[in-house]
Amino acid sequence: MDVTRFKNRTLARLATRFPRLAQRFIDGYQAQESAGSIPWAVPKPLRQAKLALVTTSGIHHQRQAPFDMNDSDGDPSYRTLNGEELFDDFQITHDYYDHTDARKDPNIIFPLGPLRELVSEGLLGRLAQTHYAFMGHIDGRHIPTLVEKTAREVAAKLKADQVDLVLLTPA
Amino acid sequence: MGLIQREIERAGIATIGISIVREFTEKVQPPRTVFLRWPFGHPLGEPGNSAQQRAVVLEALRALYQIEEPGTIIDLPFRWRREKYADYLPPTAADLE
Repeated sequence: MDVTRFKNRTLARLATRFPRLAQRFIDGYQAQESAGSIPWAVPKPLRQAKLALVTTSGIHHQRQAPFDMNDSDGDPSYRTLNGEELFDDFQITHDYYDHTDARKDPNIIFPLGPLRELVSEGLLGRLAQTHYAFMGHIDGRHIPTLVEKTAREVAAKLKADQVDLVLLTPA
Repeated sequence: MGLIQREIERAGIATIGISIVREFTEKVQPPRTVFLRWPFGHPLGEPGNSAQQRAVVLEALRALYQIEEPGTIIDLPFRWRREKYADYLPPTAADLE
């Protein structure tokens, strides 16, 4: 592991433990500002709906290539997740938060367990089998790629899979 | 994350996002958000605390139907490690349509 990655991971561990340090990181990062109208779709009743998860936590299957952590602008690509297998073989590639707790229980970043309960109780219609993961630390030149290419690709795939609702989780 | 959320909503799929950094969400303006002032890496809470995870998921889903104004951020009342989820009142089926 090179020095930059070591530094990022150490800072991430400290920021998770000491929220005041996290605030410093937040203040130093320029989030992309959106202009124009906010998109809007009317949600179907939950008991009739098919729901998928999209996360920026960097979780993916072990068999998949990790996200590129050597680029300081991040990696705008995504991984396609099989919800039925994910928790048996997952790994997290994301140097900007501490994964210790998420490795113990991935439901804290990717809540398949609680959603399955809602399906069995009849509150949620269906849970999609396919979900999507990004690595949430994306900046600079990768933002247009994310918005215009990869996020739109994922949106089109969700639509083709007849997904009605999406819950997004960060990390 | 909000940028991805906006693209999914633009494709005609209703979305709800969980945020742990309110400042970013205010700038990006995704359609619907629930916010928790919780540490990085813990949007659904603590490992093994399934009552807590369930409460966050249910509050996110309640917000999906409750929010009428695009860009709304609902601050969830849950404090980090100081809540007893046994007293939590979940939304009814009527709140989720």
